[in-house]
Formats: sequence, structure tokens, C-alpha cells
Amino acid sequence: MSESRSEIPRRKNKRREEGERREPSESKLILDIENLKGEFSKTTDRLIKDLRRHDKIMARTDRDQMRELKKLELRLEEVESLQESQKKLLDSFIKLIASAIDAKSKYTGGHCKRVPELSLMMADAASTATNGIFESFSIDTEDQKRELSIAAWLHDCGKVTTPEYVVDKATKLETIYNRIHEIRTRFEVIHRDLTIEALNKKLNGNDTKEVDIWLEEEHKKLIKEFEIVAHANVGAEFMKEDAKDIIKNIAARTWTRNFNDTIGLAHEEKQRVLKENSITPQVENLLSNKIRHIIPREYFDYEEYERMGFKTKVPEHLYNLGELYNICTSVGTLSYEERFKIQEHVQMTIIMLEKLPFPEYLKNVPLFAGAHHETLIGTGYPRELTVDDMPIASRIMAIADVFEALTASDRPYKEPKTLSASIKILSFMVKDQHLDSDIFKLFLSSGIYKIYANKYLKPEQIDEVNIEQYLK
Amino acid sequence: MENLTIEATKYTPVINLDINGTISMVGKSYPENTFEFYEPLMQWVEKYFKSSAQDVTTINLEITYFNSSSSKLFFDFFDLLEENNNENTIEINWIFDEENESAQEAGEDFIEDFEDLDITLVTK
Repeated sequence: MSESRSEIPRRKNKRREEGERREPSESKLILDIENLKGEFSKTTDRLIKDLRRHDKIMARTDRDQMRELKKLELRLEEVESLQESQKKLLDSFIKLIASAIDAKSKYTGGHCKRVPELSLMMADAASTATNGIFESFSIDTEDQKRELSIAAWLHDCGKVTTPEYVVDKATKLETIYNRIHEIRTRFEVIHRDLTIEALNKKLNGNDTKEVDIWLEEEHKKLIKEFEIVAHANVGAEFMKEDAKDIIKNIAARTWTRNFNDTIGLAHEEKQRVLKENSITPQVENLLSNKIRHIIPREYFDYEEYERMGFKTKVPEHLYNLGELYNICTSVGTLSYEERFKIQEHVQMTIIMLEKLPFPEYLKNVPLFAGAHHETLIGTGYPRELTVDDMPIASRIMAIADVFEALTASDRPYKEPKTLSASIKILSFMVKDQHLDSDIFKLFLSSGIYKIYANKYLKPEQIDEVNIEQYLK
Repeated sequence: MENLTIEATKYTPVINLDINGTISMVGKSYPENTFEFYEPLMQWVEKYFKSSAQDVTTINLEITYFNSSSSKLFFDFFDLLEENNNENTIEINWIFDEENESAQEAGEDFIEDFEDLDITLVTK
């Protein structure tokens, strides 16, 4: 042991000696460790410093985030309130346009206001229903409702471009004024001409009594003829061919014009009378179709018309104010040209609405609004759509449009129809596939017709409706 | 050694490194890779203090908005300044709009961390 004990220091000494010379690893190790210890403590210090900085940065970032969040929240509130007021502004604009149309003509009354209400009621019911075509139809979100509502509010916005004389044309001879008065004056002229002719006959020695009888008969005949023309002018009945022939015979009567009818005219009308014979005295027909009656169609963009997908045939002339032509209108008071002008309001609605930069959620407004005069079988206008291309929203609006028009009590050209009569007419239109059968049935089964009637129809219009017969 | 200018982008500040002794950074600091972006700055400053430092070096920092890795980098930057603080006179101005609480707090953190550095908070 002692040996070994004594050996250890010896060896140790030896090692140290050797180490100093040949084995520096021992002290280097210590040095390294000491270095490492120093490095380690430096590194630890650095790490601690770094961690503290990290904590500071984190804490500061958290505060920043909170400040940003609060700022964002404030800004969001601001944006939301701005959006809300913009929505209100847009709504007011829409209502402004709609009421301008309603106010423009007493012939549309409160139509633009009532159609959206009726449409939304029906859309709600359609959304709840799950049968047939309603399976895939839903209108749940506020945005969808807004889309339909705006489309319904603006469905007739194109009417701002329709001349008032066409919208309000209540008699066949009406232009800006009812020309029946002008024609009646011609009857008066002929009436006097007959009286003069009778007096002449008497002067020439004809039998006074016979002449008086002749005159009385001629006057009676003439008055009868005026009544026929006046009656036709109202356009209350369908005009058959034989009725037209009678009118044509009456029109062939003549009177003598002694005055120049090409003076006192505005530039535009003057252009139209240039081609007419202005020599006087001139024998004129009682009712005539003249060159001056043709208002040419100018500046019509047929390419654009096609591009928009409009199919309705465009009449050659803008208007034909021919007296005989207008009085021989078969149905109603509007000529072919005027009927087109009226129908053109939907094209205008589409053109106007397609120009508006609607946001994504309102992108269907022009489509919905522009299809309310289409039918299910391609006989509507302006695109002659068929059932597959006609959105349900438009089919709803189509029924709302017709029903409102039938039941409205604020139109001067017609008596309001009773509830049952209006529904009967709707049922005929459904039969002809002009209106959608499913929506019509829903309109009845949901009781919407009744709710609407109680709100907007006069008590005397509201009668019992046997809806069962239509629901089969 | 030459002057170095790094033009501003939408997310990074304009950096002007002038061998006459002015260093300035103005703008926002949201680089995609912060350490890579500031690498030229760090290298320039290191070299500047090694070789051509002026008697007085003025550093104007006007960083309006910055992300957290930029914060971290600014600490590193101040470390570098601190290492050279003994042999050089370095004046640092941390400039911010008085409504910019975030920049103010960052400036206060720097002052707290780098007691030996001459950092002045300058409000606009």
C-alpha cells in the first residue's frame, strides 16, 4: 500500500513533469473547462439577456396586437356603419327611381311599390316549400332577399324611357292628344257640306220635302258613322275584319281641304310633309294614312340588340300615326309599333341594370328584373326564354306583376277586377304556360293572395275564391 | 469603403449608410426575411467601426411600424453598437410620432437594455 501510496504522487509528479513537457492535455483540459465555464457563463448570460429581450419583444408585440385589434374593431364598426348607410342610400335611390316611374304615369299607380312586396312574400313561401321546382330553390340570406327585392323594385325601371303618350294611350287615335276631336270636326264639316248640298238642291228646284228627307237620312247616317268610329277608338272590343271594312268604307268619305296643311309646323313634322301634295283645294279622305304619319326609326343599334339577346321583332318604323291604321288596331289601343315601344321597357330595364356595377351578391338583379315578361314556352319578351332559362325569381315576379296589375284600383283605364276574376285570369295564363303553374298553386295554397287582397284591394273587390279548382 | 443606400419598399425602410458618420433608417420594417434583409447593414456597420469610423457617429432611426423579428434585429444592432461604444462616440436618435405608442415603448426598451449607449427619444 505504502508503495502504491508513494507511487501515486511519484507517478503524479512524474506525470506533471512529463505533462509540463509532453502531456499538456491535463492543464489544457482544465483550461478548456475553465474556458468553457467562462464561455458557458457568458453564453448563459447571453441566453438570459436574449430571453429577457424576447420576453420584452413578446410583451410589446402583445400590446401592439391589442392596440391594432382595438383599432381594427373601431375601423370595422366604422366600415359597417358606412356600409349600412350606403345600403340605405342605395335603397333610397332604388325607391326614388321606382316612385319616379309610378309618379310619371297614373297608369302604373303604385305598381313598382307593390310588386316587390308581393314577390318577397311569394319567394319566402317558395323557399319554405320543398316540392317540385322548389326543391332547389331557397332564399334564406338577407343578401338573396335583397337581390330579389332590388330586382322587383327595378323591374319596370326601363319605363322611364317610354314616352308618356304610349304608356297612357287610352284610345286608338291618341297621340299626345286624342285625335277623335280632329276627326269629329271633319264629320262636322261633312255635316255642313251635306246641309249646303241640300240647300243647293233646293235652289236648283228639287222638291223641298224630298231634299229634307234625304238630308235627314244622310245626317243620321253620318252621325251613326261617327259613333262607329268613336266606339272603335276606345278599343274595348276585339275588332274583326268586317268591322275594319266598315271603318274603311267610312274613311273613304271625302271632304275638301282649302287650307295649306304644311305651315305652322315644327322642323321635324315639316320634313315628313315635304313629300305630300300641298296644293289646295284638296279632296281629302275622312280618315287617312299619310306619309307624315310615319315616324321613321332612327339610330337603332341592331347589332347591340342581337348582342343583348333580344329576340322581339323590331318594327320598321318607330311609330305609325296613320288614322285609319290606328283606328283599325285589332286589340286594345296600341298599334304594333306602340306595343313594341311598351315592350321595349324591359329591354331598357336590362340595358340600364346591366350598366350598374352590382356587387357579386346582387349580380342576378338584371336577369331577374329583365325576365318578368317571359313565358315558359318562348312566347314572351324580350329574349323569348323558355322554362329552363327563366329563373324562379322571375317567374315569381311575373305572377306578382300580372296580379298587381289586374287587382290595382288606381288605374284610370280600367275598373279594378275582383279577386276571383283576377285569379281566374291568372289560371288562364297558367294554362297557356305564360305563368308558372307551381308558383300559381303556391300563391293560392299559401294564402298569399288573401293576405295581399286584405291589404291592398278594396272591400268590394274581395270575394270568395274557390282555390280547390285550381289546385288540382 | 463606400456609402451604402438601400431603397425603401412597401415593407422595408430606406437605409442610408454614410461613411461621414451618419446612419439612418426611415420607414416600416416588415421584411420577409429580416436577418437576411439587414445583413448588408450589419456588415457595413461592423466594417465601418473596424476601419473608417468617424469621431462621432450619428444614428437616426425612424421606424414607424415593425414586426417582432425586426425588434429582435434592432437589439442585435444595438449590441453591435455597444461593442464599439468604448472606442467611438455614438449618438443614437430613436425618432417617432408622439401618437406611436408602439415605437415609444420599443425606444424605452432599448434605453433600458443598453445603459451605456447614448440613446435619445425624439418625438415628432
